[in-house]
Amino acid sequence: MVSYVIFTLTLCGIYALLALSLNLIWGGVGLVNLGLAGFFAVGAYASALATGAGAPVLIGWTAALAVGAVVGLVVTFATLRLRDDYLAIVTLGFAEVIRLVALNERWLTKGSDGISGIKAPLKAELGLMGFNLFYLGLVTLIVAGIWLLLRRLDGSPYGRAMKAIREDQQLAAFAGKTVLRFKLQAFALSAAIAALAGALYAHFQSYVSPDHFQPLITIYIFLAVTAGGVGRPSGAVVGAYLVVIFLEATRFATEWVPGLQPVQVAALREILVGLALILVLHLRPQGLLPECIPRAPKPVPSKA
Amino acid sequence: MTDFMTNRRTLLTGAAALAGIGALPKLALAQGAPIRIGTLTPLTGSGGPYGPVMVKAVKAVIDEVNAAGGVLGRKVELISEDDQTSPEAGVRAARKLIDVDKVSAILGTWASSVTTAVAPLCWESKTFLATVSGADSITQLPHQGYLIRTQPTTTLQGRKFGEFVIAEKAKRVFFLSPQTPFAKSQFDNITEAVKKGGGETASQIYDDKKPAYRTEIDEVLRFKPDAVVFGGYTPDTAVMLKDLFRAGFGGLKVAFGYSVNQKLVDSVPADVVDKTYTISPSSAEGSKAYERLVKLIGVPSPDPYTTQIYDQINLVLMAIALAGDASGTAIKDSIRKASQAPGGAKIDNAIDGLKAIAAKQPVDYDGASGPCDFTETGDISDSKFRYEQVQGGKIVLVKIA
Amino acid sequence: MTLLLQALINGLMTGALIAVPAVGFSAIFAVLRYPNFAIASYATIGAFAAWWANVVLGLPIIPALVIAFAIAGTVGVVAEESALSRLRGNGALIVAIASIALNLVLENIIRFFFGNDMRGYDLPLMRDMRFGDLRIGPQQLQSLALAVVIMAAMFAFLRYTRFGKAMRAVADNPDLARLKGIDPARIAIVTVFLGAGLTGVGGVLIGLDTSIDPLTGYRVLLSVFAAAVLGGLGSIPGAVVGALALGIAEELALIAVPATYRTAVGFIAILIMLTFRPRGILGERAV
Repeated sequence: MVSYVIFTLTLCGIYALLALSLNLIWGGVGLVNLGLAGFFAVGAYASALATGAGAPVLIGWTAALAVGAVVGLVVTFATLRLRDDYLAIVTLGFAEVIRLVALNERWLTKGSDGISGIKAPLKAELGLMGFNLFYLGLVTLIVAGIWLLLRRLDGSPYGRAMKAIREDQQLAAFAGKTVLRFKLQAFALSAAIAALAGALYAHFQSYVSPDHFQPLITIYIFLAVTAGGVGRPSGAVVGAYLVVIFLEATRFATEWVPGLQPVQVAALREILVGLALILVLHLRPQGLLPECIPRAPKPVPSKA
Repeated sequence: MTDFMTNRRTLLTGAAALAGIGALPKLALAQGAPIRIGTLTPLTGSGGPYGPVMVKAVKAVIDEVNAAGGVLGRKVELISEDDQTSPEAGVRAARKLIDVDKVSAILGTWASSVTTAVAPLCWESKTFLATVSGADSITQLPHQGYLIRTQPTTTLQGRKFGEFVIAEKAKRVFFLSPQTPFAKSQFDNITEAVKKGGGETASQIYDDKKPAYRTEIDEVLRFKPDAVVFGGYTPDTAVMLKDLFRAGFGGLKVAFGYSVNQKLVDSVPADVVDKTYTISPSSAEGSKAYERLVKLIGVPSPDPYTTQIYDQINLVLMAIALAGDASGTAIKDSIRKASQAPGGAKIDNAIDGLKAIAAKQPVDYDGASGPCDFTETGDISDSKFRYEQVQGGKIVLVKIA
Repeated sequence: MTLLLQALINGLMTGALIAVPAVGFSAIFAVLRYPNFAIASYATIGAFAAWWANVVLGLPIIPALVIAFAIAGTVGVVAEESALSRLRGNGALIVAIASIALNLVLENIIRFFFGNDMRGYDLPLMRDMRFGDLRIGPQQLQSLALAVVIMAAMFAFLRYTRFGKAMRAVADNPDLARLKGIDPARIAIVTVFLGAGLTGVGGVLIGLDTSIDPLTGYRVLLSVFAAAVLGGLGSIPGAVVGALALGIAEELALIAVPATYRTAVGFIAILIMLTFRPRGILGERAV
C-alpha cells in the first residue's frame, strides 16, 4: 500500500510538471499545445539516449531540457503564422510525427521495442524502497522549484506582458511588446519543462517506448489545468494531483458496481474521466484556483 | 504563502484518500485469505478486441476451480485491470494490482511495451508475470525467473510461416505488417526459410490507422507475389484483406491466428477472407485442452491469446498447489514442476491437475496453446502449430504439425 | 507514368472516404467556430447505426445511410446541447477541450453496450474495374460521388435557402444576425444536426472499408482534421478539396516515403501549405 501511494504521488509530480508546462503557454501567452505528449517523448528519449551513451543522469536531464527547448523553438517557428485553432491541430500532428519517428527509426530509438534498462539514479545504493522515496522527494522538489519560478514569473512585469499578449496581441504589440520574442521564449520554456517531465519519467520507470506517448496523456493534462484553473501555476499543480488521484480512485469506485463485464468496467472508468472534465468546465470554468488578475500596476517601463 | 498551504493540504488529503480506499481490500484479505490473481489485459485502446475474451477464459477457469473447492482450501479471487494498451496506464494498473490487491501473479499482458514496462515492477516485488507478448527482447530482461511467455518466439513462428508457404509451392512471398516489435525478426526468419526453399521475399511496413491501403497494395502486386503473409492485428488486417480482394489478388494468404480470427471472418464478406490460412501455436494432436476451452467459454474458435491465458491460469493454480504457498516466488519456483515434471501424468486442466497434485503424483501440463514446457529464460521450448483455413465463413482445422 | 496516374486515382479514392466527415466537421466549425473532436464518435455512431439497420433490420444500404444520418445527427444535437452549448461563451478552446472529453464519453458508451468486437455490414464487396494498367474501385467511386453530391447539396442549401442564409449570417457575425431576428441557438441546433449527421454518413463509408468497432471514427480523426485544415477551416467545398488533396499527397508521397510515415506526410503537407496560405486552399470565406 505504501509503495502504491509513493508511486502515485511521484506520478502526480510528473503530471504536475506537464501541467505547469501547458499552463505556461496556454495560461501565459494563450497558445494551445495539443502536442504535449510529443515534447514529453522528446525529453524522455533525449535523456534515455544520452545516459545510454554513458552520460551521467544529470547530463541526461540537461540534455532533455536543451533538446526540448530547441524542438519547442522549431515548432514555434514552423507555426508562427498560424491562428490558434490551426495551431491546436498542427501541434496534435506534431505529437503524432514524433511518435512515428520513435516507432520507425530503429537505429536511434530501438523502434517499438522501446529503450529499457534506463539508469535509475542511486537505485543500487538506496534499495527499492529507498529509491522510490528518494525519487518522490526529488520530483516533488523539482515541481516545487519550477512552481516557485513560474509563480514569480507570473507576478513579474514579464508575466504581465505575456498575459497582455494572450488577451490582445495587437494591443500588446502596440504597447511596445515584441510579441514574437515573448511567444518564442514562452514556448521554448514550456517545451523544456515538458521534456524534463519526460526525462524524469524515463529514469523513474527505466523504460520508454512509442506507446507511452499516446494522446490520452495530453487529455489528462488538459483536464488537470482546466480543473485547477488556467493561468495560475498553483492551479495547474493542484489540478495535476487531483487528476492522478481521481484516475486511480475510479479503479476502486468501479469495483463497487456489481454484475459488469471487465470491459464494461473499463469503459465506465473512461466515461467517468470524460464526465468529470465536462462537469468541471460547467460548474467551475475558472477552475478550483482561479487566476488572480493583478490590480493595474504602476506604469511599467517597456522592456522591449 | 497561502498558495503553498492549499497546495500541501490538497496533497495530504489526496494521500489520505488513497490510503483510505486502499485499506478496504486489505481487510478482506485478513478475513477469507483468498488467493488473488490479477489479469492485466487491454480492454480499451487498440488491443481492445483481444482483452475481454481473455479475461472471460480466466474467470471461467477460476469459477470452475472454486466450485471444486479452490486451491489449498482457499478461494481464488480474480482482479481484472485494464492496461488501456498503454505502458503508462499499464504500469499504474500493475502497481495497484501488486501493492493494493497483493496479487500473486499477473496474467495476460498483451502489448510488448506494456509487458516490458510492467516486468520490472513484478520481479522487484516478487510477483509472477505470465505474458502473451511477442517481442523477442522480453525474455532477455533480467527477470530472475519471475516471467514466462506462452507465445512462441518470433524466430520459431517466422520459420513456420516460411516453411508453410514453401510447402504450398509459393516462390515469391510478400510480408505485409505494421510496425511491431517482432515485424523485422519475423520477416528475417520467413526470408531465411523461403530462401532455403529457393524462393524470394519482399516486405512492407504500413501505418496501421489508415482507412485504405490502395497504393500499398499496388506495391505488393508489383512484386507479383504468389503468397502474402500478414503480420498485423485484426482491425488493420481486415482493411488489407479488403483492399487485396478489390485488387483481385488470387494467391495464397497466410496470417496469424490471432489476426484472422472468428470475429474478423464474421465481419467481412465471405469471399474477402475465403481460403486464407492461419497459423497458431497449438496443443499436440489428440490433446483435449483446446476442446475443453471451447466448451468452457462457448467460443467456437478461441484465438491464440485466449488459449494462452487459459494455460497460464491453469499452470499458475497448479504451481500454487504444488508449492503449498501462493506467493509469487513459490509460483516461480514450482511453475516448471507443473508444466514439465519428468514422467509426470499428462494433464490438460487445473481441476484434474489439482487432484493429481493432492494425490502426490507428478504432473506435466499440456495445454490449449501447446505443450507449455519452458526454458530457463521463460520461453516455451517447443510448440506444435495449428494450421487452419477459412472455408465458407468457418475456420477449419487443416493439420497440426 | 502509370505509377503516378494510379497513385493519383488512389488518392482521390482515399480522399473521398475522408471528405464526407470532413464536410460535417467543417459545417460545425463554420457556424460555431470551434473544432469538434466528438466527430470521431459521431462517425462511429453512424457506422453502428447503419450496422443495426443493415444487419439487424435487414435494410439495404441507402435506408441504412439515412438512419445513420438521423441517429448520428440526433446524438450530436443532444450531446451539443447537454455538454457543449453552455460553454460557448468561454471561448472556442474550452468548447474544443470539452468536445475531447465528450468524445471519450461517447466512445466508451458504445464500448459499454457493444464491446470491442468488430462488426461488418451484410454487403458484398466489389472488385476493382480495370482500364489497361489502371484500377478503379466502384465502391470508392460511389463514395466520391456521394461526397460531391453532399457538398453540392450543402452548398446549395447554404446559398439558396432562407435557413442556409441565416446560417451563413450567424457564421459571419452572430450579433448582427441576432439583430436581424435570427435565433442563433436554433441555427446552432440545425447546424450540429447536419454536421453530426453527415459525419455519421462518413462513418458508414469508413466502416464499409475498414471495420465497425468503438474506434472506427477515432482512427481517422487526424486525417479529417488535416483535410479540413488543408482546405481552409470552415469552408465546405474546402473540406472536400482538402480531403482529396490530402489523399493525393499521401499516395504520391508513398512512392518515395516509407508507407509507415503516411500520417507524417499529411502533416508536413499542411505545414508547408499553411506557411504560404495561412487560411487553407480555399480560405474561410468560401462557406
